[in-house]
Amino acid sequence: MSLTETIETASPFTGRRARRRRETTVTLVLLTLTAALFIATMMIGSYWLKPWEVVASLLGIADDPSIDFIVRDLRLPLAAAGLAVGLALGTAGIVFQKLLANPLASPDFVGISQGAGVAAVVSIVLLNLGAIAVSFAALGGALVTGGLIYALAWRGGITGYRFILIGIGVSEFCVALTGYVLARAELFDAREAMTWLVGSIGQTGALQLRILLGALILLLPVAVMLGRWLSALELGDDTAYALGVRVEVARVSLLAVAIVLVALATAAAGPVSFVALISGPIAIRIVRTGGPVLLPSALIGASLVLGADLIGSHLLPVSLPTGVITGAVGAPYLIWLLATVNREGRGG
Amino acid sequence: MTTDLLHQAAPAARHRNGAALGVGLLVLIGVLAVVCVMSITLGTRGIGLGSIIDAFRDRDDSVDATVIREMRVPRTLIGLSAGIALGLAGALLQGLTRNPLADPGIMGVNTGASAFIVSSIAILGTQAMTTYIWFGFIGAAVSVVLVYGVASFGREGATPVKLALAGAAISAGFYAITTGVVMTNIDALNQMRAWQVGSLAGRYWPELQYSAPFIVVGAILALTLGRALNGLALGDDMATALGQRIVLTRSVVFVAVILLAGAATAACGPIAFVGLVIPHVARALCGPDYRWILPYTLVLSPIILLLADIAGRLVLKPGELQVGVVLGVLGAPAFIALVRNRSLAKL
Amino acid sequence: MSKLRFVVPAVAAALILAACGSSDDSADGEKWSYKSGDGKTYTADEIPDRIIAQGESAAALLSYGIKPVGIYLSEPVEQNRSLAGFDLDGIEILGEEWGKIDAEKAAELKPDLIVSSYWPVEKAYGGMENAVEESSKKVGKLATIVGPTAGESIETMLTGYEDLAESLGADTESGDGAAAKADYEAAKERFKSVVAEKKGLTALGVSPADDLLYVAVPEHSAELTDFVEWGLDVTIPDSPNPDFPYWENLSWEKADKYQPDLILLDDRTYDTSLATAEKQPTWTSIKAVEAGAITPWPAYWVSTYADYAEQLQKLADAIEKADPDLT
Repeated sequence: MSLTETIETASPFTGRRARRRRETTVTLVLLTLTAALFIATMMIGSYWLKPWEVVASLLGIADDPSIDFIVRDLRLPLAAAGLAVGLALGTAGIVFQKLLANPLASPDFVGISQGAGVAAVVSIVLLNLGAIAVSFAALGGALVTGGLIYALAWRGGITGYRFILIGIGVSEFCVALTGYVLARAELFDAREAMTWLVGSIGQTGALQLRILLGALILLLPVAVMLGRWLSALELGDDTAYALGVRVEVARVSLLAVAIVLVALATAAAGPVSFVALISGPIAIRIVRTGGPVLLPSALIGASLVLGADLIGSHLLPVSLPTGVITGAVGAPYLIWLLATVNREGRGG
Repeated sequence: MTTDLLHQAAPAARHRNGAALGVGLLVLIGVLAVVCVMSITLGTRGIGLGSIIDAFRDRDDSVDATVIREMRVPRTLIGLSAGIALGLAGALLQGLTRNPLADPGIMGVNTGASAFIVSSIAILGTQAMTTYIWFGFIGAAVSVVLVYGVASFGREGATPVKLALAGAAISAGFYAITTGVVMTNIDALNQMRAWQVGSLAGRYWPELQYSAPFIVVGAILALTLGRALNGLALGDDMATALGQRIVLTRSVVFVAVILLAGAATAACGPIAFVGLVIPHVARALCGPDYRWILPYTLVLSPIILLLADIAGRLVLKPGELQVGVVLGVLGAPAFIALVRNRSLAKL
Repeated sequence: MSKLRFVVPAVAAALILAACGSSDDSADGEKWSYKSGDGKTYTADEIPDRIIAQGESAAALLSYGIKPVGIYLSEPVEQNRSLAGFDLDGIEILGEEWGKIDAEKAAELKPDLIVSSYWPVEKAYGGMENAVEESSKKVGKLATIVGPTAGESIETMLTGYEDLAESLGADTESGDGAAAKADYEAAKERFKSVVAEKKGLTALGVSPADDLLYVAVPEHSAELTDFVEWGLDVTIPDSPNPDFPYWENLSWEKADKYQPDLILLDDRTYDTSLATAEKQPTWTSIKAVEAGAITPWPAYWVSTYADYAEQLQKLADAIEKADPDLT
């Protein structure tokens, strides 16, 4: 028997079919949750709408222009942005964590978001660029930083820990630069920059959203396919080779997909913290079969972002941006996670 | 006898000659003295040596003398104490957690201080720096306590990964609070973005008076922990077997870290890399014995901090570049070089 | 389906915009036209009366008796200096946070005009600039946005508001608005004459911070530009920060580099700024400080003749007391 089959039948669950069923069920439940949150975003606001009003407006048959404005100009882009950003971050997060074999290995920690941040702040404060240019700058910043960390961490290969350490170094560098630029800026520029830095799906422009959606349509299936290699890579480089996986190719392509997704999501909404970090662990916990968790992780990311935006925009006395809510929610979740994690930081 | 066991058990311990290390330390102290003198004589305002000596001799009231006595001397002393504090705090944390990545920043000291400072401004109105510094101190202390407490949940206690995760979690929570407040209160925003960068500028005798006592006490505590940290380096079980009281050591370490990192960060704002990188440099110079690492860190850290501050004063005349930015920019390549050249990836 | 989503609202928006006005010059039957800060002239078939305005612009309109239906601010309404003293009953507050306008409430108000000042550097109207929430920018789709140019001269901006108010039907020849303007003209004349009497008086605009003293470059401040225009010698710093040209960054060690006769202190957070400055050992090395010649400089918030008149009178008082031979 091949190694994979041995592992599968040795699983504590009653065989492949049961596991597949569980994975499918979980994925469907998450899909429903995400859809519900999407619709809720379309319905809730200063003006509560009924579902059929939303549908009518989307189909173009309602004849109230202010309802059309609210549904199509305001809420639809917001819901779509939340969905897209969440899917992207959830995917990228689990890929990073599995590739680098460490729950700390989230793109928000290891410098990629911070690289995007520096680029965006510089373009807002020093170059006075428009929103689209700022997004492209953020994209560039994220890609450059990701590539830089990869190059610096390369020594005959990449170990997760080296990548993380170097990422943290690069991250602090970017944070220092960002702080300097913000401290010197005129107040209105500083406010503009800090608003961007907090991360909010409300600041996603139409062009950025379209690019992100396009990328997701292309890259999400690719990621899911490549995701099969993730399980093999988790077993260690040698085992993976034995299973026929070309380790470096797999690693580079997965990392590239993840970095691009994070870069585009950050370009669209700014750095929305914590989503990439906690989607993966939550997915692993819920699915619990040790099988592929990429899609569940993506859907959890989407639910988190949509949920955070709903809470931040409507459920609090003061309206707060998405990034603040995900940070506030992420913290207790991580704490709970810590209570049950073992020494290596893997799920117990 | 226990000491012999410790020395034998330490893996690959390059046992240095105690006398050589002592001389080395004295040399470094000399370097520190020179750097302090440089810090007093160099700055955005060109002041001749003659005027400097006059400033100390007479009760001269010229602007030059004011700058020397009221600005540069306290600034140098603050740089000295902050450097000592951050370096020692980093060394203590690295020793306690056996995590080469540990530094006060990952314990959430910076975000905790920020959150408390902005909240105090939002609730009590704008404050002078000397007032909000206290809130910063409390915030830093609360953060360290929370991080350590949370990391200790569950089995295994506060392992390096769990500490880092706890630090990240608590930091994120505090960051969310800070941002929430700052987005709705423009005074808080203004004060925060100035403090955020980490600077020795604008800190004079009052700030020194408030922070130095804590740092002195913390430093003294730290220096007594050399032997205990050596014991812990072998692992908790081995250390207990050798008669160490781990809980006591941990508590003393955390009190010291709170005093040192709390006071330094509250007074100067977040300064990166000192606590992270300097202990490794010290270790490279004097080997793995904490009874030497701690004093070496104590002397090396202010040397680096003051040099960075001096550079910041000269590079952008007639303005200044904050020491937090200089260290943030220069520290990153140093840190990365460290990571690539040494096999740090051991947990 | 995705194409439909974008085509229909685009058409709707185009219809709304067409209804509100176009950029042709006024033709017959168009009752309202105004040349806005962005250089274009906007027209409408009827005089707009449902107006949404940004905080300072709202104050300007209110000073002529025009009441907007909605206001958006960047701070809580009690903290906004220009709106102090106006009756805001019945006006919907659409946002009290920078970058956030409740677009849904704004849509409900069915506005036919949006008023906010135009900032040439950002090429945008206040509240609709770049990295602001997309939904806030979409408020701009609800109606035409107009407003005078800001950031270059307060006097020009105030004239722009007067023209706007007049086009909207306010009586600018009599009533509170006209009285305020008269006060302003008087204050301006007094300012000019007081400055002319104090030959050799130099002034310096500063904003003290904990770690640096920021010295203002007059051409980047609308108020200072006006003062220079009226004869006040405002010192121009010689090495502005190349990345941030509004100010020269001065280390506190060099606080005595410029020795003006009068200090104009950025009044955005006046008390805190003064406390910060007083903490610095070298603050008193500036002779004007020792002589007590410090006065507030109203930075970035004045938008009505009444407020400007008041500030100019205070400045004139300070100038009268200042000693031109101090330095």
